[in-house]
Amino acid sequence: MSSREDILQNIRRNTQKRYEKPDLSSLVQKAVKYEDKIGQFCSVMERVGGKAVLLHEGEDVNEVIRKLYPEARRIASSVRVLKRGNESQQLNCYTFHPDEVAASAELDGTDLGIVSGKVGVCENGAVWLEQEMEERGIYFIAEALIILLDKTCLVNNMHEAYPLIDTGEYGFGVFVSGPSKTADIEQALVMGAHGPREVTVILY
Amino acid sequence: MKVGLFIPCYINSVFPQVGVASYKLLKSLGVEVDYPLNQTCCGQPMANAGFEHESVELAKHFDELFKDYDYIVGPSASCVAFVRDHYGKLLAGETHRCASEGRIYDICEFIHDQIRPTELKASFPHKVSIQNSCHGVRLLHLSSPSEMNIPYYNKLRDLLSLVKDIEIVEPERPDECCGFGGMFAVEEHEVSGRMGRDKVQRHIDTGAEYIVGADSSCLMHQNGIISRDHLPIKTIHIVEILAAGL
Amino acid sequence: MSTKHSKAAGRFLQHKELAAWHDETLWMVRAKRDKISKELPEWEDLRNMAEAIKMYSNSHLDTLLQEFEKNAQANGAHVYWAKDADEYCSIVHHILESHHVKHFIKSKSMLAEECGLNEYLEDKGIEVVESDLGERILQLMHKRPSHIVLPAIHIRKEEIGELFVKEMGTEPGNNDQTYLTHAARKNLRHKFIEAEAAMTGANFAVASTGECVVCTNEGNADMGTSQPKLQITAFGMEKIVPDREALGVFTRLLARSGTGQPITTYTSHYRKPRKGGELHIIIVDNGRSQILADKEHVKTLNCLRCGACMNTCPVYRRSGGYSYTYFIPGPIGINLGMLKAPLHYYDNVSACSLCHSCQNVCPAKVDLADQIYCWRQQLQRLGVASTPKHVMSEGMKFLMERPGLFDWALKNASLVNKIPHWMIYNGLNDWGKEHDMPVFAKESFNELWKKNKVK
Repeated sequence: MSSREDILQNIRRNTQKRYEKPDLSSLVQKAVKYEDKIGQFCSVMERVGGKAVLLHEGEDVNEVIRKLYPEARRIASSVRVLKRGNESQQLNCYTFHPDEVAASAELDGTDLGIVSGKVGVCENGAVWLEQEMEERGIYFIAEALIILLDKTCLVNNMHEAYPLIDTGEYGFGVFVSGPSKTADIEQALVMGAHGPREVTVILY
Repeated sequence: MKVGLFIPCYINSVFPQVGVASYKLLKSLGVEVDYPLNQTCCGQPMANAGFEHESVELAKHFDELFKDYDYIVGPSASCVAFVRDHYGKLLAGETHRCASEGRIYDICEFIHDQIRPTELKASFPHKVSIQNSCHGVRLLHLSSPSEMNIPYYNKLRDLLSLVKDIEIVEPERPDECCGFGGMFAVEEHEVSGRMGRDKVQRHIDTGAEYIVGADSSCLMHQNGIISRDHLPIKTIHIVEILAAGL
Repeated sequence: MSTKHSKAAGRFLQHKELAAWHDETLWMVRAKRDKISKELPEWEDLRNMAEAIKMYSNSHLDTLLQEFEKNAQANGAHVYWAKDADEYCSIVHHILESHHVKHFIKSKSMLAEECGLNEYLEDKGIEVVESDLGERILQLMHKRPSHIVLPAIHIRKEEIGELFVKEMGTEPGNNDQTYLTHAARKNLRHKFIEAEAAMTGANFAVASTGECVVCTNEGNADMGTSQPKLQITAFGMEKIVPDREALGVFTRLLARSGTGQPITTYTSHYRKPRKGGELHIIIVDNGRSQILADKEHVKTLNCLRCGACMNTCPVYRRSGGYSYTYFIPGPIGINLGMLKAPLHYYDNVSACSLCHSCQNVCPAKVDLADQIYCWRQQLQRLGVASTPKHVMSEGMKFLMERPGLFDWALKNASLVNKIPHWMIYNGLNDWGKEHDMPVFAKESFNELWKKNKVK
């Protein structure tokens, strides 16, 4: 018999009482909610070691990015146009699109990655990134990451976030909450363990 | 309402004054109290050490001894918790249903929840630090465990608040284990000793003169350390304070 | 009266400063967990829900695993089933061998530790690189983790500084944590890029989508799986959850419980292989299906491996991970070790004062202390109960079952107080090593009662 059959048979034989699937609706109803979603999101981003900034009416996103990362030379962006209502802004502050590289390794040495987020979660600063380029490596290998997020896409908590997300055509998505970090040496918190040392969410 | 006073073995031999204070306190609150003789041990030390079957006869004896009382009340949270949580199972093979588990109370719990006094005569002009003992907190729910997200409450503090001239504090890490744990204190004596020393130090750091608790076992363990290390604090069972002046 | 645990704990405690640091540092993690859990009014409901979902999923493993398999295959993944550690290791090896992999990068996986994967592969000539910083430090030191979430919590920065001088060419004497972390970042970046395959464990496997979810703070799982195009993901079968709705519950609890963060930095959902790449998923039993039959211990399968029970355990904090003989220490490790091989791992059962704090912090409400109590009851049947402890217990039983004898003993107990000091405080008295003995009262309560002195 195959291991698969063996294992399944053991499970069936050994399973005792079968429990019902619980109903989550009452929990979802009473889960934490925030009156000022933007304020909450900005403060929790700081707590997780990142930053959130608000793109004001009339502000040019390229200028905001340049001001945030004036030193960045090699800048990858998978976003070309930022649409806000009827208004749209061209992104021109980047030097290449991540799909222009032949292999993921070539993304190494990117100073700044600019990507778009789908949903932001106010309870924990997590932003859902649905892979939108051939090589998702840019999310992790860039020294700093900017996530562009529509401020109407903020939700209170993970219960509200999950129904809104998917992994899309590439079959990959990730919640990112702030910069890569570790406390593995004596519990001292250090940013930039492997991934981006800085993460800024621009809410537009 | 007839109450049978349960005096655990080590209180009987080492801390009889706790038994005396328990009796006086209950009497003063208008409770009809009796002390059935021939009590020994509830069986917890054997069971916690891994020899539960050696507690069965003791459970039977206990159950029989207290069968005619409306309530069984004892000044030891841990022993009470053992009877309440384990006797049903220990006596599952017996012909009669366990009669003790549903009627047994720790004395603080009993006074706080059943008698509900609004005043006491006692005065105790000292600063005391509460020993929130593990089984009292996490098995008998005498206070809100620090791990849980539930509103703060503390039945020991409530009762002590009825005492005049007393100052009540709780240590940092308010319900961390003091390291007694029955035979744990012998088998893992180094860890147990470290836990006890850390606990006593946190009580001392509050500036209290007394460590006060509902479990003489935790107090006995800490007292052994205080005496060995000549530390500037004393231990006292809560009923001795509540019964002060009676 | 001692166990391997108690002896090792004694040695750990001899290094007073380090032991105090260990206790304080882990307590700080517990305090962070307390603080963040109290920010959610629904915290206790979340724990109840997590428990209920696990009770459901672990009692429907047959259907959920098959649903997962079907969906994962539809996503383009290869799915394997491994009965035990050997089969799991050989499946991994086979995949690597057939792809001519020489450099293999791994993110942290307790399952790989459980099954001895690294040793297996290294024996076969494959270089395995651990990419989690703590795990990497330990790998270079040839040591094992002492905590499941904070694997190198017992290592001081000075030792790491020395190690990195040798391994990564850092400046001698520079033991700054940021400096050392960034040196490892640079060193491992190179390893990620040269690897031909990457492996991760999984925190959750979602039946309804066939995806595996991995939670890290460092981003090492993602750095690995976004470089080489061959990805292997393996999980113990209790990691299955029914759907993403369930993930909503678990992702809220995991990091809050484990490290006091609102969520891990990365919560990655791997559903399909990369373009031009392959995704291989291994479902591992290795004793788990046996646990299903064990009513007293089945709830250990609820465990999320968050480490909260270790951080709160007053014994773990004061004895360190190496004092336990099973590779997972602390309350959950005591229980998992006994389920794995009781005759090998019974020494850990002493490492518990039955304070029950672990049960209150566990996000999926595993009844850890109650289970340890149950295991203690089994030691005699297994023939490994401590003899001196049993002698004490039997002695007490003999005395306590005889109220007359007990009464007589009470009457004469105070004579014990007169025993000379040197006879009490000798090497044989483990209580006396830490404490003074309690002083027996001149008159017991029984005496006082009978003499009508209780009024």
